[in-house]
Amino acid sequence: MSTDKNTKQVDLELRQFIKNLGYIAGGTALLTTVPWLQSFTTDKLSEIKNEKARVAILGTGSRGQYHIMNLLRIPHAEIVALCDNYPPNLKTASDLCPKAKTYTDYRKMLESKDIDGVIICTPLNWHAPMVLDSLAAGKHTFCEKSMALTMDECKAIYEAYLRTDRVLYFGMQRLFDEKYIKGLSLIHSGLIGDIVGIRCHWFRNNDWRRPVPSPELERKINWRLYWESSGGLTTELATHQLEVSNWAMKRIPESVVGMGDIVFWKDGREVYDSISLTYHYRNGVKTTYESLISNKFNGLGEQVLGHKGTMELEKGQYFFEDVAPAPGILQLINNVEKRVFSTVPIAGPSWVPETASKQKPHYVIEGMVHTTAGGSMVGAENDGSDNLISAFCQAVITGEKAKDIVEECYSSTMLCLLGNQAMKEQRKVDFPDEYKIPYLKF
Amino acid sequence: MKDIIIPVQRQKKELRILLICFACSFLLNIAAIIIYKTSWAEVITQLGYVFIIALAFYVLIAIIRLIIYLISTLFKKRK
Repeated sequence: MSTDKNTKQVDLELRQFIKNLGYIAGGTALLTTVPWLQSFTTDKLSEIKNEKARVAILGTGSRGQYHIMNLLRIPHAEIVALCDNYPPNLKTASDLCPKAKTYTDYRKMLESKDIDGVIICTPLNWHAPMVLDSLAAGKHTFCEKSMALTMDECKAIYEAYLRTDRVLYFGMQRLFDEKYIKGLSLIHSGLIGDIVGIRCHWFRNNDWRRPVPSPELERKINWRLYWESSGGLTTELATHQLEVSNWAMKRIPESVVGMGDIVFWKDGREVYDSISLTYHYRNGVKTTYESLISNKFNGLGEQVLGHKGTMELEKGQYFFEDVAPAPGILQLINNVEKRVFSTVPIAGPSWVPETASKQKPHYVIEGMVHTTAGGSMVGAENDGSDNLISAFCQAVITGEKAKDIVEECYSSTMLCLLGNQAMKEQRKVDFPDEYKIPYLKF
Repeated sequence: MKDIIIPVQRQKKELRILLICFACSFLLNIAAIIIYKTSWAEVITQLGYVFIIALAFYVLIAIIRLIIYLISTLFKKRK
């Protein structure tokens, strides 16, 4: 693995941001609301600076390669192994880190004593078996979202997590995105008042397909399109936004209704290309979720609607409901102009200054805020993924288990799977008692 | 090219007119604050617009004075 010593530590900005959060809050009070960040500090970084987490990448497709690029910039990480049963992906990954040992059978890889942590970036149907095997092999484990393909698998992972002393992380990168951390803390401080609704959407315009060299590889490479290996738009996209919704509400919905269809990409796929879901919280608040992949006009976003204002988390901006009126002198000029010139035909635009009330955005973070239109099928830049992976590598070295990350992923994955059930069965689905865990607050 | 000399009296006259224009636009701002019930902070915050309106009044008055001057010159010539 090569490291560029001139490359800035990937997560320094967030660690400094967390330090500042602590100071502003007068201590750790604020950090208790984001417990998974409590050990993600500059002090902890200096403690581990001479150590490296020896990690293996299990699944070296697009997302695996995305993580490789992040890991190469993390000084406390070393990629020692790669595993994939699709040779072209394994070759590409190996070219990126030539010193890493390659495997085609992940069980063989898990036997290696030279691996401390495993990063799983495989199709969804492989998440549960690989996570369970990895934990059983004594490896610290990171698995991409969503947690698993079925509710039973999610429950099995959660129960294994309770028993193990190994670190377990999931790819919920918004938990490590400064924009979301700050935005949610502002929401919880009452900035926009009581939350009265949440709107989430993710629109793209592509068929979600990868090139397939031969027909028998269709279901292997385009696993996202088939129910046997994928939860469709919910588990691939909605999981992040439902997690944010729960984070804002500090509770999870009790029930869901929805509809899903294939409206445009009628190419033999099984999963829906257009979904619309409504999740209902006990206090009456609803999160609406809409996603389709044949129109990208609206991009992606989460709008938290409060009775005093609106927070657009992805854009890192918020608006207040009450807008100050235009200055009196401008209103006077505007009215005089209307009365004097309304019957006089004058060509061209009015010279009168604009007096219409406009809602001006306020920004969660001053300066440049990274936003994404959500079109990438690999991953956005600076969306918290690099910080999350860095935190995992730190945890591999220290052995410190993450707080609430597993529970957050469990909650959002369950909601995705319940959404799929609601769409397939065309009925309202309640959160089943047998899958409730103590962390969940309804 | 000759030097243009503006007598002190003329300067004072123009300044007085400008001050009157400023006073009028200042009072206009006050009136707008009362009519539209906006914040009294606008007495200060909208000074920019007050200056612009004062200048506009001054220009308007200058145009009217010019017209009057031209008309009176025309009458004098006819006599």
